[in-house]
Amino acid sequence: MPQGGKYREVDMPGLREKRCSLSEAASLIKDGTRIAFGGMSVHNHPMAFIYELIRRRIRDLTIVGHVSADDVDILVGAGCVKKIEISYVGLEEFGLAPNFRRAVENGEIELAEYSEPVAFERFQCSARGQSFFPTREMLGTDLPKYNPDIREMVSPFDGRQCHIVPAADPEWVVLHAPMGDQYGNVLFFQNRQLPEDLDLIASRAARNLIVTVEEIVDRNKVLRLSHLNQIPRFRTTAIVEVPYGAHPSSCLQVYDNDREHLKMYARVARDPAEFKKYLEKYVHGVKSHMEYLNLIGLERLMKIRRVGGNL
Amino acid sequence: MNAEFTRYEVMAAAISRELRDFENWFIGLATGSTTILLLSRIPIAGMALAQHTHAPNSFILVAGWLMNPVPSEIPTGMESEFGTLLRDWRCEGWGNILLRAASPERGEIHVGFGSAAQVDKYGNCNIVCLGDYRKPKVRLIGPINQPGHFSLFGREIIVIEHEKRNFVDKVDFISGVGYLDGPGGRERLGLIGGGPCIIFTDKAIFDFDPDTKLARLKSIHPGVSLNEVMEHTGFTHDYVPDSVPVTPLPTDEEIRLLREVIDPRGVLLPR
Repeated sequence: MPQGGKYREVDMPGLREKRCSLSEAASLIKDGTRIAFGGMSVHNHPMAFIYELIRRRIRDLTIVGHVSADDVDILVGAGCVKKIEISYVGLEEFGLAPNFRRAVENGEIELAEYSEPVAFERFQCSARGQSFFPTREMLGTDLPKYNPDIREMVSPFDGRQCHIVPAADPEWVVLHAPMGDQYGNVLFFQNRQLPEDLDLIASRAARNLIVTVEEIVDRNKVLRLSHLNQIPRFRTTAIVEVPYGAHPSSCLQVYDNDREHLKMYARVARDPAEFKKYLEKYVHGVKSHMEYLNLIGLERLMKIRRVGGNL
Repeated sequence: MNAEFTRYEVMAAAISRELRDFENWFIGLATGSTTILLLSRIPIAGMALAQHTHAPNSFILVAGWLMNPVPSEIPTGMESEFGTLLRDWRCEGWGNILLRAASPERGEIHVGFGSAAQVDKYGNCNIVCLGDYRKPKVRLIGPINQPGHFSLFGREIIVIEHEKRNFVDKVDFISGVGYLDGPGGRERLGLIGGGPCIIFTDKAIFDFDPDTKLARLKSIHPGVSLNEVMEHTGFTHDYVPDSVPVTPLPTDEEIRLLREVIDPRGVLLPR
């Protein structure tokens, strides 16, 4: 029961609570799932959820995404991934993604690559309920040579050559956001940019949606801040409160990405033995997300905190 | 190198001269600290210099969304293009994914900046892999926005570290299409954009012969010898014209603008 009791006008009898634990939410994802994770480059990835998937030793995921970093890299390094559909996997200022690099060089994962705006548009295409769309921006590149899903077509309207590509069509989408309520409404700050907007588009592309949030807020807050409610609850399958749940990526306007941690990750992930130790320490070796945060330490968490963000 | 200015100032001034008034310019995400300097910070300084000299009506799009930020107030060294700190950068406007500031498909981006692990003699670029795609020697970041830079933008300025291995006869993977296999290559593809116009390095500048579409040395930065350039260039075609001038030096006014107006804190151009 939220503080302040029921709000009669909107809380109907039988209104379903979607709040659950991290492990309950992660158990919804089965081996071989076609899945998209929210966030972009080193921002807003649902990392706590990803760590839980690794702890559960999930296998054979097909990840459909656009611009990924440590989220995809750690899943690849932990052996959870069969195929990736993407435009970028890298650690931005920290260089190449070491596990991704190693796995591709060893031929261990399948790839289907698209240019970045096309990778974004694949989610919009799903959100519109369409199965494909035309584009001309990959003409002349070698991408279609190795990605059979980039097909050629002549436009029936202007007779020009173009490519058609399929919608993203994820079975599950998992996002990390600032706030939500126990019924699955998700609030974003007003001052959104590409990482947040892409998450909102992904939420519309999802058949099933899990959202981890920094804070599950009182129902009354949602009613007062309704202009910030960007994911209406009927879209959400499960919602989980996970403070600092995007660490070491950022939760934009709540905390920055942990540059020291990512720098360390980029270093240790280069060596498979060192990476294994990292996984043992930060993923398998902790029993809960709180234990993980204790390991990171209060000082670091306070250092990356950005109260109010850009308001 | 003349001690009166740094090679980064020479590069920024040279970049500004490649830019024209009433154009929209685009820079995006870079990976690795060297590339962030070459691909983000030096071009921002060059674009700002152009705006302060001959191109006041031009438009800068940082990562496609941050419009005409105030260069002297850059809050970080461009380590991350969507970080909270970068959002505090005062600017003229914010775009978003649905209402983009400019549409590349409509030819509204006139100049883009791109880097690569490999650039070949026809200006094709590669940021996907070294070696065979299915079993690469080195797997890189992936195409990201490079295809559109080369197929849709009016022209592309390639900014690359001057290392021998970066300049090849033929790239291992085309992620940015230059003149493909020579004259007529782009026309066959029906591309709307103009492709690469210039290659900037920390040692020299290359352009492309309008007839053969082959890269050729345009100028060498002050203090760098032709031998040094050739030692660090992997091209095997004849890319050295009979005479190669020194890259024009920044003027006193350009240096003053860079140091006092555009980058007083030395965030964009290391001193």
